[in-house]
Amino acid sequence: MSTGQVIKRAKYKTSVKDPGTPGVLKMTENKFLFRPNDPSSNKKLEVEFRFIQSHKNTKEGSNKPPWLNLIHSQGHSYIFEFESFPDLHVCREFVGIALGKSGDVAKAVPTAISAEQLSTAEMELRIKLLREDSKLQKLHKELVIAGKLTESEFWATRKKLLDKDESRKLKQRVGFKNSMIFDTKPTSDGRTNQVTFNLTPEIKYQIFALKPAVHQAFLNFVPSKMTEKDFWTKYFRAEYLHRTKNAVAAAAEAAEDEELAVFLKDDEILESEARKKVRWVDPTLDMEADQGDDYTHLPDHGIFRDGGKEISEAQYQLYKRTFLQDLNRQGAVVLEGRTLDVDLEHPRTVAEALARTRQESDGDIEQERLNRISQMTLIEDLQAQDNHCFAPLCIKDPREYFDSQQANAVKTLDDSQVGMEQIKCSLPSDEAYGSLRVSISNLKAMGSRDPLVSPEIALTILNGLTKNISSTKYHLGKNSQESVLDILPSTTKEQLLDHWTSSQELLRHYWSSYPITTPNLHTKVNRLKDAISQIYSKLEEIKVSARSDLRHQVSLIVHPMQQALDAALLHYDADMRRRTARGQKSNGYV
Amino acid sequence: MPQVKIIAKNFMDMVASMPAMKLDKLYDNGFICEAILRSMPPLGKKYVLQMLYIDVPVTSKSMEEWVFPDGFSKHKISIDRLVQLRVFTETFDKKKEKSYKINPVFQRNLQKLLVRGGNLPREPMPSNIVRLPSLEDLEIYALQQWECFLLQLISSNQAERPTNISSSLMKVFQRGLMSYRDKEAPKLTESGFQFLLMDTNAQLWYIIREYISNSEERGVDASDLISFLLELSFHVTGEAYNINTLTDFQGSVIKDLADLGLVKVQQGRKESWFIPTKLATNLSASMTESSSRKEGFVVVETNFRMYAYSSSRLHCEILRLFASIEYTLPNLIVGAITKESSYNAFENGITAEQIISFLQQNAHPRVAERIPSVPENVNDQIRLWEADLNRVEMTPSYYYDEFPSRDVYEGACDLAREYNGLLWENDKKMHMVVTAEVHSEMEKVWKGSIPHPQQRNVAYWGNGNLIFVFIIV
Amino acid sequence: MASGPSKLYADDVSLLVVLLDTNPFFWSTFSLQFSEFLSHVLAFLNSILLLNQLNQIVVIATGCSSCSYIYDSSSDSNPGSEFGNMPRLYSNLLQKLEEFVARDEQLLKAGKQGAIASSLLSGSLSMALCYIQRVFRSGPLHPQPRILCIQGSPDGPEQYVAIMNAIFSAQRSTVPIDSCYIGSNNSAFLQQASYITGGIYYRPPQLDGLFQYLSTVFATDLYSRAFLRLPKSVGVDFRASCFCHKQTIDMGYVCSVCLSIFCEPHKKCSTCGSVFGQAQLDVASEASRKRMASDTKWCSGSNDKIGTGIVEVCVKSACRSVVGCFTGFLGM
Repeated sequence: MSTGQVIKRAKYKTSVKDPGTPGVLKMTENKFLFRPNDPSSNKKLEVEFRFIQSHKNTKEGSNKPPWLNLIHSQGHSYIFEFESFPDLHVCREFVGIALGKSGDVAKAVPTAISAEQLSTAEMELRIKLLREDSKLQKLHKELVIAGKLTESEFWATRKKLLDKDESRKLKQRVGFKNSMIFDTKPTSDGRTNQVTFNLTPEIKYQIFALKPAVHQAFLNFVPSKMTEKDFWTKYFRAEYLHRTKNAVAAAAEAAEDEELAVFLKDDEILESEARKKVRWVDPTLDMEADQGDDYTHLPDHGIFRDGGKEISEAQYQLYKRTFLQDLNRQGAVVLEGRTLDVDLEHPRTVAEALARTRQESDGDIEQERLNRISQMTLIEDLQAQDNHCFAPLCIKDPREYFDSQQANAVKTLDDSQVGMEQIKCSLPSDEAYGSLRVSISNLKAMGSRDPLVSPEIALTILNGLTKNISSTKYHLGKNSQESVLDILPSTTKEQLLDHWTSSQELLRHYWSSYPITTPNLHTKVNRLKDAISQIYSKLEEIKVSARSDLRHQVSLIVHPMQQALDAALLHYDADMRRRTARGQKSNGYV
Repeated sequence: MPQVKIIAKNFMDMVASMPAMKLDKLYDNGFICEAILRSMPPLGKKYVLQMLYIDVPVTSKSMEEWVFPDGFSKHKISIDRLVQLRVFTETFDKKKEKSYKINPVFQRNLQKLLVRGGNLPREPMPSNIVRLPSLEDLEIYALQQWECFLLQLISSNQAERPTNISSSLMKVFQRGLMSYRDKEAPKLTESGFQFLLMDTNAQLWYIIREYISNSEERGVDASDLISFLLELSFHVTGEAYNINTLTDFQGSVIKDLADLGLVKVQQGRKESWFIPTKLATNLSASMTESSSRKEGFVVVETNFRMYAYSSSRLHCEILRLFASIEYTLPNLIVGAITKESSYNAFENGITAEQIISFLQQNAHPRVAERIPSVPENVNDQIRLWEADLNRVEMTPSYYYDEFPSRDVYEGACDLAREYNGLLWENDKKMHMVVTAEVHSEMEKVWKGSIPHPQQRNVAYWGNGNLIFVFIIV
Repeated sequence: MASGPSKLYADDVSLLVVLLDTNPFFWSTFSLQFSEFLSHVLAFLNSILLLNQLNQIVVIATGCSSCSYIYDSSSDSNPGSEFGNMPRLYSNLLQKLEEFVARDEQLLKAGKQGAIASSLLSGSLSMALCYIQRVFRSGPLHPQPRILCIQGSPDGPEQYVAIMNAIFSAQRSTVPIDSCYIGSNNSAFLQQASYITGGIYYRPPQLDGLFQYLSTVFATDLYSRAFLRLPKSVGVDFRASCFCHKQTIDMGYVCSVCLSIFCEPHKKCSTCGSVFGQAQLDVASEASRKRMASDTKWCSGSNDKIGTGIVEVCVKSACRSVVGCFTGFLGM
């Protein structure tokens, strides 16, 4: 059904008994219309296919006329009687495809349950990310599928992941055609003295891109001075003169027709652009040095186009283009790629759009060139080496932090107030400094004790340190492989790590929801609080169920996690209490 | 070929190889203890320090507690070194557990150094009496002296001002480095060339080692010499010390050392004094190439040209060993590394590796920071030139001729082919060469059968077309 | 035994910058005599010089009102030689220390008679880092630097920002800060300093053998640390001080632009001048929340409503880099 619609003569019947209203049935991709022959009839129909549940039709060869029955989802049906079975078949096929399509859409809708309308691409991206990262998937399953976080909340903290992926896929676009437009061959019918050039929008675009002079001329002449047709005729006339290598004729005609001369002369814009490009070459490279090139006395470096040998005559030099120039120009434009994204139907718009992009790219080339020169002249040999190395500031291995925190937890159990207590300046400064000075002068006068440390003390200290080292060896290793977690059974370890990551995620969401300003946040906090208390109790379970010899270790690990969760729960309670005590504010969310 | 392998051996290896009695005696001197401590690997130093006030053995197990698994080899080396130098003594307790105890004399001396400080047997002379050279001048002097000595060492007639090292001592130093043939000018041996390409410290080690090992012949006690050299290394560079404070023996040593550039001896109106140079103070230190490296001077270009920014004649002589020198300007030597010059070097027993490492070690600071400091193509070419010389290899083999019959000859050829050991055969004359391994197999086959070919033990050089067969007599 | 190439022995050349706490108020109340303490430390310094001819030590005194270099072995020609009844190092250092103490006292008197009891650790840390930077720039061959703080007086929360900056710059130039803390309670600053820079934090329990601790633990050069297990800091106190009142806090407000920490909400960040969003500010000031949850880890960064706002977070230093990353991550 490439046409996308079917129009057939048919009779519309509301029931099998109905004699039917003659008219025209028109089916398009998503709906069908029935227009009765009698305009005054009220049997007009316009029904979308998505309301059609199914269709039936009569068989060829049975004694029934060719009927097509479309059954509405609400029960009633539309029966069309066609003039012939072939008509019926065409329509039945069309309906089949149309119903198939609308059915697909209907099925796809329920999958995008979330309130936010996601494009399928985005959805696919998320699914892909989850599929690639099993940890993420696990977390997603635990938090989102279990309803602790909504889909959008979950992804909001991972925008970076999504962004990164999106940037990866670039739309592929059609490039510039690589075939030589200069080689557009005319066709001649042989009998008359007539030459025909075939011109398509694509070719026009190519011509504009390749020949800035023609482009400029088009903008200047069309439509103020001449019609588009005249313009192209003139252009191809000039082209034809080139092709026939009729340099003499070209010069003669150019003298008569100034517009034609534009096409025949060397492209000035092209030249200025070439000059600009030469400036882009590595500025330390001396292009002048190439001017004494051996081939310059031969056109095209001795390569001949179309096998013909060109006679070079100085006065006509102006009207000759060399093959190499053409080739280079074509190459440059192809490499630049297609810069336009407009409809090619209208040459005028194409020309204007092209002109705009040209201007943009012109920019401050001079400035850039200066920059490049300064970059190029920074020759490394002349520079002092800056071999000062820096370590990047970065997040430490979170597991390491985890390890030291668990010890912290032990510590806070016994001495809850750490450091920070100020010494009382009980002594006046005179006295304090005095005693310091006495100490120094004592040492100066007496020298230090010898032996400085008694062997017994030294030995006990060394033994103490050794004991300290060997005891921490298994608890807090230097590298993560030796971590406490590794002495736990792998299932427990896995569980703990999972709980840790999900509690981190939950807490992050939890704290970021404060202060509660919207009803959404309010429900989110409630939801999170429930999830947090769930994890809390799970941790408790792990603690209890651990093997007796490991129970202490496990509780050490679990403790800081529980503390973190505790803090969240406490804050929740306090906040609730304050809220109820103060009573609801006008907006209800404080 | 006599192989005098020169290793840049550490001074302390020599100390360690001394008999236990003498070693213990050395530790009576606090400075020697310090020098020994400084010569240890880092972990060894730490172990000494942590045992400094402990007078009972510490189990090796408890020491190992501190070591990470991947640092264990380092730990082992350090402990071995400590035991070897008798700083630690191994003891075993009842349970056969290994323990280490620090040498009490050593310990006591270090403790004393720590809290009391140590004094040399002589004080530097006050600077109002003597006019001291600046440190730079002193260093230049030391290097000049050293180069002068080296020049004299290679060719006695080249030195501008001959040092007064006795010719007998010079002979001792030249032993192994130079070869004397009858009626011929002394020629550098292979190891002599290698010696010249070593860095100054390694050369110094070599000479000092020779000096010490020769001491017995001169009727001098080696341990006295060692302790004096160690002591010397604690003198302050650039300070003057009165020669009167030295014993007669030490005085004579100082004279020799002055010729080597380790000290500068100056004569005042009434008394004379010596000024230690950097060469002397570096003697016992834990020296490294990096900490004592002088600035390089050679730039090698990819076109095999070589520019050496040096005015030293010694440098010029060394470069001449493997490069053809084109110009010598006041401060620049221009040369090229050519095939001929390299072949010359290889003939003298210098290896491509040595040339390259010399060029790398002495690379001019401008190029030294680049990697590689010597252009890769030059590196490769020098190696290729060397490989050129080793195109044929020698195979120990057996040569058969006078076969009793052609059958026996052909049988033998087939057998040798079967074992993949036939190196060469000549069907016409019925001669063949087989490898030594196959020969034993052939023996077994021929065992018993009376008529068998004549066999000669030979060496076979060749690659199929070009054959040399040397009959080993 | 085969002699290793002499090159192996060079990796331990170190530059040790020692920050010596000379807070008179601390020493006058402390159980260990200052002279006793000094004799241990001096022996330790001398032992470092004993280990390698190229080793270098620099000592900086950390006083109450000033800091000063009091010893630099590179300008002392022969520190080990005997002078009087002690090594020259001792007498030179003690001489300078005496001068320093006198100057420090005068400065204290000249200044306000506030109840400052903490030492100027931030100042001496900065001086140490400056010295080390100079060494770095002196050429490609320089000893491996490390800093050792021998500290007794408690932390001065008012120095929090300066100390943290010093710590981070030490981390960036890979200079480890070792801490030997002899005070009665742990120093949170030094714990963090050592933790962040990868140094050793240790609080010796038995002070009459201080030298033994110093020589066993802190004399270990950086090269050997790769092979040795050394006491690992357990239980680092990561709490921060707020920028406004210099109080140590668990929970506070962090500027989303420059990560400054405040104990109470502000309309404008006093550090970078960012103006915080009105809506959140209203709410924040409305609810005067100061939660002292004891041990929450990084826990905030709001995800969908951030413009420029003040965010309530846990403010432990170890988290701060995390929070920093966080903020970037949320596109703030």
